[in-house]
Amino acid sequence: MMKGARAAVELLEEQNVKVMFGIPGGVLLPFYDELVDSDIRHILPRHEQCAGHMADGYARVSKKPGVCVATSGPGATNLVTGVATAFMDSSPMVAITGQVATNVLGNDAFQEADSFSLMMPVTKHNFRVTDPKVFPETMKKAFMIATTGRYGPVHIDIPVDIFQAEITQEQMDREVRVPKPKRNLADLLDAIKLLEKAERPTIMVGGGVAWSMAGPEIVRLAEMLMAPIVTTLMAKGSVPENHPLVLGVCGMHGRQVANYALNNCDVLLAIGTRFSDRVTGKLSEFGTKTKVVHVDIDSSEIGKNVKGRVGLVGDAWTVVNALIAGLQKRVKAQTWRDRIVQLNKDCDCDHDLRSEPLKPQKVIFELSKNLPEDAIVTTEVGQNQMWAAHFFKCYGKRMFITSGGLGTMGFGFPAALGAKVARPESVVLDIAGDGSIQMVSQEFATAVENDIPVVVCVLNNGWLGMVKQWQKLFYGSRYMATKFAGSPDFVKLAEAYGADAARVERPSEVAEAIRTACRSEVPYLIDFVIDPEEDVLPMTPPGKTSVDCIKGRCPWKGGVA
Amino acid sequence: MEVMMMLVYDQPGVMQRVMGEFNRKRINVETIVVGKCEMPERARIVLSIEDREKAMSVIEHLRALHEVIEADLVDHTRHEAYALVQAKEGVCRITGTVEEVDSMIRKSQPERYIQAMNAI
Repeated sequence: MMKGARAAVELLEEQNVKVMFGIPGGVLLPFYDELVDSDIRHILPRHEQCAGHMADGYARVSKKPGVCVATSGPGATNLVTGVATAFMDSSPMVAITGQVATNVLGNDAFQEADSFSLMMPVTKHNFRVTDPKVFPETMKKAFMIATTGRYGPVHIDIPVDIFQAEITQEQMDREVRVPKPKRNLADLLDAIKLLEKAERPTIMVGGGVAWSMAGPEIVRLAEMLMAPIVTTLMAKGSVPENHPLVLGVCGMHGRQVANYALNNCDVLLAIGTRFSDRVTGKLSEFGTKTKVVHVDIDSSEIGKNVKGRVGLVGDAWTVVNALIAGLQKRVKAQTWRDRIVQLNKDCDCDHDLRSEPLKPQKVIFELSKNLPEDAIVTTEVGQNQMWAAHFFKCYGKRMFITSGGLGTMGFGFPAALGAKVARPESVVLDIAGDGSIQMVSQEFATAVENDIPVVVCVLNNGWLGMVKQWQKLFYGSRYMATKFAGSPDFVKLAEAYGADAARVERPSEVAEAIRTACRSEVPYLIDFVIDPEEDVLPMTPPGKTSVDCIKGRCPWKGGVA
Repeated sequence: MEVMMMLVYDQPGVMQRVMGEFNRKRINVETIVVGKCEMPERARIVLSIEDREKAMSVIEHLRALHEVIEADLVDHTRHEAYALVQAKEGVCRITGTVEEVDSMIRKSQPERYIQAMNAI
């Protein structure tokens, strides 16, 4: 016999949980009392949302479920954003919230919120434990569901009396099973035939490839098919961007050559992607001339956005290996391959990187050049994210972590902390905007307190830049609520928390500042004061096609991308 | 009209989760009946929705739910329909095939018609 709280800690240890991110509260006290005697490293963020993002960042690097904990009521509502972010990017997570005692549940007790209902639409699955007998099985199931099939967050709502109830050893030992997703490769032969006949094949890889780590196999497949690879934002880093066939990120702010390959292929092999509107643009126009082979582990994704396709249900690694084994004739696409490789070489932006005021592209260019081969880059959301996606070169053991689905501002900094906890030997750097960092700047306290030396590069233009860009392009420059008139001095802010910081205003100082920051043994902030007039271009306006692409200074000469 | 049948776990919160999928896809459920079934701790949901394409768009999402054991469209031509109609004698119950019940409802005065539940 043991108390529920003891059982919870033992179950976490049994699941090999090494670190958890959480904020205690009244109903969690029995649980936190047991944590005193546990070896699990507990990190105390300053806001529950960041506990979620830290667990998410940890999961994306370690490929194991991140664990975050929040108390009932406001703790749970604050955590929702963190969980929803993980859900949209299929990141494995176990989110634990405390709850008021079962005998007052539903009576509007102090700090009560219906967190079970709140979490339902933003989790892969969630539980509310009302019977201590099934508590151990529920905990085990949560970890299994999070990492079976398509990954995702699982939430467990635990009333305080469950932590105080008696749990028997028999209940602890009960085995659980969750159904494995069914594989369906019935159309494999059709897919192979289509690919063999293709004269202009393109491979599009999504976040699923990053999770199943199928990058090397996909590069091999691309070489066999002579097919270029384009990535979605979520797949950036899953295939090496220094390979001649890897064209980089496609979609709204993608590279022109990537969009060209995507829109001008005759057969598109899409792997582990859900055809987000940020990739397809106007959905009715997308892929009308293209035969699509869609590979996904989640059968409900096939045919959801893009209809009329050959669907293969299975994880990226397995399906790609099956395709490699099945392919025979594959010499048709030489012309296409040569053309794309040449276009890829020529696809370069026309920026004067030495010009003043400092250009954000210069910062990303220097990061690409100066960061070590195993650096992990996270981003916030907005212009900073798109500049990073477009200009940062991700290859080798580098990783790119970003909130692609939900687009959560304030994700990058806490995710960087989680990533650094998972891989402390790597340089972890957050590319931030001045808007995003102000949503989570309190986490400098967490970083300093727990000795997690990450680097934050603020691309500071004094605006909510991406919204400003849309107001400029689509609303006749009528700016509303996008200019920051009273931002803090970010250098002083970071220093107030005990971090190091520097301000950079000149292009010539960028590289040295980055190298210094990477060597720092404490958290480090660089405030890059950048040109506020710089937009993220090229850009395909929302709901439009590449014909309507706003190119800006892009010198692309390859035809309609 | 498409009829969908689901076998689910018989526990609180299941209806909310299942209906959540219909809500997200903006599908109106025309009729629904839920109850315990021949298996212990399981319940069956039978519901009808108008559009086949919408039914197909939601069914894979339903199957992905951990509380849904089975979800299938059923051939409903053989299924019986049930309706309540206001008659002289009070509220009357009519049953039959979908077509039969529909024609009965059409024949009765529409303002007297209380409720029709197709294909259940």
